[in-house]
Amino acid sequence: MEKEKEIVKRLKSFLGENLVKVTIPRERRIFSYIRKEVLREAVNYLVNVLRFKHISTITGVDLGGEIEVIYHLAYEGSILLSLRFTVSKEKPNVPTITDIVSGAVLYEREVHDFLGVKFDGHPDLSPLMLPEEWPQGVYPLRKEHKLEELKEMTSKKVGEKML
Amino acid sequence: MNPCPIKIPFGPQHPALKEPENFLFEIEGERIVDVKPRIGYNHRGIEKAFECKTYIQNIYLAERICGICSDAHTTCYTQAIEELLGLEVPPRAKYIRVIIAELERIQSHALWIGLVAHEIGFDTLFMYVWRDRETVLDIFERISGNRIHYAMNTIGGVRRDISSAMVLEIKKSLNHMEERVKYYLDVVKSERTILKRAVDIGILEPKDAVNLGAVGPTLRASGVNHDVRVDDPYAAYDEIPFNVITHEDCDVLSRILVRCEEMHESIEIIHYALGYMPDGIIKTEIPMNFPEGETVSRVEAPRGELIHYLKSNGTRKPERYKVRSPTLGNIPALCRMLLGGFVADIPIVLAGIDPCFSCMDRMAFIDIKTDEKWVWTMQQLRRKFTNE
Repeated sequence: MEKEKEIVKRLKSFLGENLVKVTIPRERRIFSYIRKEVLREAVNYLVNVLRFKHISTITGVDLGGEIEVIYHLAYEGSILLSLRFTVSKEKPNVPTITDIVSGAVLYEREVHDFLGVKFDGHPDLSPLMLPEEWPQGVYPLRKEHKLEELKEMTSKKVGEKML
Repeated sequence: MNPCPIKIPFGPQHPALKEPENFLFEIEGERIVDVKPRIGYNHRGIEKAFECKTYIQNIYLAERICGICSDAHTTCYTQAIEELLGLEVPPRAKYIRVIIAELERIQSHALWIGLVAHEIGFDTLFMYVWRDRETVLDIFERISGNRIHYAMNTIGGVRRDISSAMVLEIKKSLNHMEERVKYYLDVVKSERTILKRAVDIGILEPKDAVNLGAVGPTLRASGVNHDVRVDDPYAAYDEIPFNVITHEDCDVLSRILVRCEEMHESIEIIHYALGYMPDGIIKTEIPMNFPEGETVSRVEAPRGELIHYLKSNGTRKPERYKVRSPTLGNIPALCRMLLGGFVADIPIVLAGIDPCFSCMDRMAFIDIKTDEKWVWTMQQLRRKFTNE
């Protein structure tokens, strides 16, 4: 756990009070909660200074009124750090990190497709997973959309257009 | 030379394989100048489905995320739940998980080598490898009753034991497989048909591989020594000695060699695990209550790093379950490999990352000037590009 603690220490001294909370639930796992405003600096620092070169994925979670965005970054393929913050559903804008980590390009599009998080500065946010005919503003992994509703939507609206 | 702006949509339909995908290629002459991936044709809403089912039902759902690496997904899923519950899996179950995972790696890599041989028109090798792959599927049938979807994992352990009679049979089959893998390595290294189509094709520089988030054999064929089994050990991998295979040449041949040698390494791992498997129970009791919390679970699937994220809200159903399969991680790297290459190399480079799809049967060509569309079959393409 020495390595994990050292990483947390360095991240703390870099981000200061912009690092809201940090936990080490077990070996090789770090959960860190940051303010949205420092996302790009934090990612830049993690990737280029602390050598978290690999991005495993980006997860979006609907928390009710807000959406939590979690960046899973890996140090030397080993220690997995989850960098996370929340955005409101009304204004779900987040700056892109694709210019820092190119590997994030599809993960950002995926979160955009399913939870409607807008990644400002992303080169192309066209649908990646959902069909072109998918109704605007319906983000299937948000909790307000129940499974039955989505089923009906896909079978009727999309189905008709596709036929 | 006046470049002719032609866009080639590649895919998405393929009747035989799952996960169809579409790539829009922009070409100048024979060179690829732009690639746009479009995926999701096989999107089934599994993450939403996870939220609507109980943890027990979700074992069956996780098994069905993928047909080839079903065990990787259930291992990842059960690990996430076990970490949430604070369960310690019995040592024997950990070894059985390793054995099944490595058997799965062998059959998955064998399937892939067959497909690659087929893509470059070397059908003899394709038939040899797929015949030998049956050896591994027979082992699966002996252990679990199923050739695929072996359903071995459950929360707290595994569902079936491996008896001492089975151990002998498995070892015998593995010895046969080992001979065959040696033969494939010989063929791959010396056969002109393969070398001509695989050397210096689909280059992925190590720097790009890391920055684009490549995983698994694709990453290791660019000389980057990362493997979840070593970096973030799970099951019994921290007790078993083995080598991580890397190759430095960054081309399709490297990807073939990495997988061939990994098959050999997997056989060694299984032999070791069968020999050192401790006695005891194979499953612990699971508590009735699932606490609130979240876990991130990682597994080295045959195609690379697989990651699952679980958020529990204290009920019997997960609040959020996220799956990122290795193929998605490799798509940006794949696009990089294709850039600057020849149209004729698209199939082999695409197949090179071992994607869960193959849209090689049918391509539609669109001439922008006349807006004329036509479709070539794979046979026509092969005739054009290989002078068959």
